[in-house]
Amino acid sequence: MLQSLSTPHDLQQVAALLKCSGLSFEADVDDVLGIKDLHGRLVATGSRQGALLKMIAVDAEYQSSELFSELINALISCGYQAGIENFFVYTKPSQYHSFTALNFHLLCTSEHVALLEYGRGINRYLQQHAPLQRVGDNGGVVVNCNPFTLGHRYLIESAAAIVDWLYVFVVEENCSSFPFDVRFDLVKKGVAHLSNVSVLPTGPYAISQVTFPDYFLNNSTLAREQQVQIDIQLFGRYLAPAFSIKHRFVGFEPYCATTSAYNNALQGQLPQYEIELCQFARIESDQGAISASQVRQLLMQHSFDNLSQLVPETTLKFLTSSKFFKQVHLDPKFRRH
Amino acid sequence: MEIQSKARAGTMQSSDVVVFVEPADQLTIEIESTVLKQFEHLIRQRIEQQLATLEVTRGLIRVSDRGALDYAIDARIETAVRRSMEG
Repeated sequence: MLQSLSTPHDLQQVAALLKCSGLSFEADVDDVLGIKDLHGRLVATGSRQGALLKMIAVDAEYQSSELFSELINALISCGYQAGIENFFVYTKPSQYHSFTALNFHLLCTSEHVALLEYGRGINRYLQQHAPLQRVGDNGGVVVNCNPFTLGHRYLIESAAAIVDWLYVFVVEENCSSFPFDVRFDLVKKGVAHLSNVSVLPTGPYAISQVTFPDYFLNNSTLAREQQVQIDIQLFGRYLAPAFSIKHRFVGFEPYCATTSAYNNALQGQLPQYEIELCQFARIESDQGAISASQVRQLLMQHSFDNLSQLVPETTLKFLTSSKFFKQVHLDPKFRRH
Repeated sequence: MEIQSKARAGTMQSSDVVVFVEPADQLTIEIESTVLKQFEHLIRQRIEQQLATLEVTRGLIRVSDRGALDYAIDARIETAVRRSMEG
């Protein structure tokens, strides 16, 4: 019988069943579902965290049964009730067929993981942005802009000067202190003077929670490598071809090891999609290379005086408006981006 | 009948179909199916017939099929459309 699981006893059974499949239990999910046999023994379990289905395991005895589709169906129903229409799942590359049999679409595979989605998905995303598609020798940047600085403007201006058209993808995931709407709006305003630039949201298809399969791999270095591979594949296989992107631009990263490793991976992996990576040096203020984290630090210290060295007029206007206090909650825990 | 809100009917079980409907200005039918290559034209025909019977002339109809038979397609379409009118 299918049920929602929450008691400590049930969750212990979940952890034990997951362990048999080499997975570990994480408490930070929205739904934990399970199916028990007549003796009350848990034989299938699956969880949902937002749009991501995870911790899915079926007892070896029941693997050829319909329990799997019943479970996935129930997880997706829970997601619909929560207003989600597009779902993602990571699995081992050898097992993705059990999901494609339920009409999941394989987005990409790396050596250790396969990423699938259920719903209208990436095709709908590309259709929505089809009016922006242009043929040419185009470029792309993926930015979080938390918030938009003179550094971002410099990167975008320099890139736009080299290519026919530049696509600026703003990370849509709301994991930053500046909410997506604000970040997006400040990017749009900050590049409005450039005539060959389009700004668009990444959807879940770049640098999102979905591109974090670390739950699936216990080894975190390996997980990070896989995550980066998936992220680059999504860009190389879907985003870049749709917008004729042949150049990807990044700022040279002097501070953050993760970003710097990501840039190195881009350098190594983009050429297989016939995309060239260009790294630009960062521009400097009196306090060294300009970064959004500097800006956030100054904001937390309420020192608005030096901001004009770091951000353009458009961002400054927002930071000194009442909207800033209403919409942005700076929290020291958001140290990155 | 008029599709008035997003609604869904059906399950992911084998031989069933999940039907999603949502309001739209035009009628669009999107089909994904494990037997798409062999049966897409027949599935589409059946959906069109059933929508005509229900007098649905616009909306986005998306089906995710796992080899459902005709009567299952009919039933799921009708249920999804009726649910969309319950609001």
